[in-house]
Amino acid sequence: MKNSVKKLFIVIFVIFSIFVAGCLQSNQTSENSAPINLVKMSGQEMIQKLGTGEIAGFIMWEPYPAIAVTKGLGKDLILSGKIWKDHPCCVIAYDEDWYKSTNNSDEILKRMALAQLKSVEYINNAKQSDSPDHEELINYTMQFGGMTDPAAANLSLADVEFVYNTNIPGTTTFIKNIQDFGIFDMGKWNQSGYKNASDYANSLVTNNYVDWAINNKDADFSGISLQEPVNVRYGYLINDIHELPFYIGWQKGYYKNLGINISIGEGAPFQNGAFEMQKGFKSNTIDIGSLGIPPVIIHRINSNDFSTDDARVGVIAGMNNEGSVIVVSNNITSLKDLSGKTVGYPGPGTIQHVLFLMAAEKEGLRVSN
Amino acid sequence: MKIGEKKKEVVINLLSLVGFVLLWQIILILTREGIFSIPFIRLRDIPTPVETWHALIGSMFTRIYGPSLTYGIYNHVFASLERVIEGGIIAFIIGVPVGIGVGYSRIIGNIFNPIIEIVRNMPPMAWIPIAIFIFVSGGSIFIVFIGVVFPIILNTIQGVRSTDERLLDAARTLGASESKIVTKVIIPSAFPSIMTGLRIGLGVGWMAIVAAEMVIRSPVGLGYFIWNMGDLGRYSEMIAGMIVIGVIGYIMNISILLLQRRFIKWED
Repeated sequence: MKNSVKKLFIVIFVIFSIFVAGCLQSNQTSENSAPINLVKMSGQEMIQKLGTGEIAGFIMWEPYPAIAVTKGLGKDLILSGKIWKDHPCCVIAYDEDWYKSTNNSDEILKRMALAQLKSVEYINNAKQSDSPDHEELINYTMQFGGMTDPAAANLSLADVEFVYNTNIPGTTTFIKNIQDFGIFDMGKWNQSGYKNASDYANSLVTNNYVDWAINNKDADFSGISLQEPVNVRYGYLINDIHELPFYIGWQKGYYKNLGINISIGEGAPFQNGAFEMQKGFKSNTIDIGSLGIPPVIIHRINSNDFSTDDARVGVIAGMNNEGSVIVVSNNITSLKDLSGKTVGYPGPGTIQHVLFLMAAEKEGLRVSN
Repeated sequence: MKIGEKKKEVVINLLSLVGFVLLWQIILILTREGIFSIPFIRLRDIPTPVETWHALIGSMFTRIYGPSLTYGIYNHVFASLERVIEGGIIAFIIGVPVGIGVGYSRIIGNIFNPIIEIVRNMPPMAWIPIAIFIFVSGGSIFIVFIGVVFPIILNTIQGVRSTDERLLDAARTLGASESKIVTKVIIPSAFPSIMTGLRIGLGVGWMAIVAAEMVIRSPVGLGYFIWNMGDLGRYSEMIAGMIVIGVIGYIMNISILLLQRRFIKWED
């Protein structure tokens, strides 16, 4: 019995020490201004919780900000273009294993870039309200974004800059930020052998396919179509207007006319880029896909088994620049007002995560994540 | 049990743990060398014990990188424990009187039994989706409550029903009132059983909290930590978090067992 009492006191002492240390630690953090608490959730939850006041705001890809604003649940606080003008966002990436095991992968990728170019040209023309294709574009936007309100579709299109060019300097900046924010697994980074951010960006992004697409943009599809149609398993993010060019290319038959049959990969559409990298590319359930550039940057290092390079992907084209928004409830007027409050985001390592940290850094704020 | 035998047991227990860690390391080395593999499982992605240890130490306390503040495992443990304790206390306050009522009174038993029998078969995890929608905050505490309350109720009922009839008869013969019988005879007699219910319940609650934190949004908590680390592809931290969950669950169980032994002398 005496022995058990002794043990009990030891256990109580240990628990008590943990509590005391916990109080000391929490006092330490409260001396500074309270951090903004980023909490992972889906876009639907963000809208619902902003409406009920459970969160003070969220950072998300379009169309969720546009839906929240048009429903009157909140307002735009910062468009991501104000955090970093023309920042790269979603890109088209291919799986390295697929690339190596497919004979004509280069030819397929060239045509993927061309379809992207054509889709972006179509969107940028149809975005103008006087364009004859405008109504069709709004319908595509509502279908892909899961929207019912044309006003929300218009608003979300206005916030996104659709592109097809790759952006190596922007990718380098993202890599530097991801390093500075402590997101890389340093053991894995050392294994990767990249000397610096620029070295990594150059290994990740290639311009060749977009260059080919630009040279062939006026060519007749029937003349440059693949002779033998191929099947490509494609992955994309759920209801993400950034990836509208993919949906346009698919619906309008650009891929098909270039000899590429798109099938949606297992698990797609994905909830966020981290899922697409881990459950899509790494698990070999998709061959090509579109997602934010930060998850690509992070998971090609953190989730990669460097002996097999299973999470190795390459970036062949851009999808969009900018297009994310910090939406807040109507009583919030600055980022500082979010201190100590909960803000929804799509998850760690997403572009919205990195952009929010960048915005907070500018304002000298702290973010718990 | 003799002291020599006890020591022997401790040595075997420790050797078993060391053996497990060694086996883990050896399997991973063989896997990474390409000698061993299991189809459909990416064993290579599992961190070694050494990598897990480094991740545990590295993520134990809060880290700050520029604007980014990443809470340490330690803060997550604290947050999860707080929820389990809160849920446990509420479950205790509600579960014990219900258990005593149902165990002691046939009428109360008939009223509550059908509800208890149906609701107790709904696992705490099944309550997570509804908790997300109906609770503005405290959804995870509710999940713990569901996990803890039924073992407490059932064990209390059993404790009350197994009260020695002779003690009850003696109390009645000496003219004790119903309330005196409950407080002076039934509750002390059922107490060991109630504590067993609490111990089992907190075990279930601890498992439920981790699942709840993976789904119910909160910036801290071990479930949240594991999920976040997974999203970042930081598998060593994930495994470190899982081990911490196991160790804390074990410590909780042992602590309640010791409390039981300390305070329920008459059980010996």
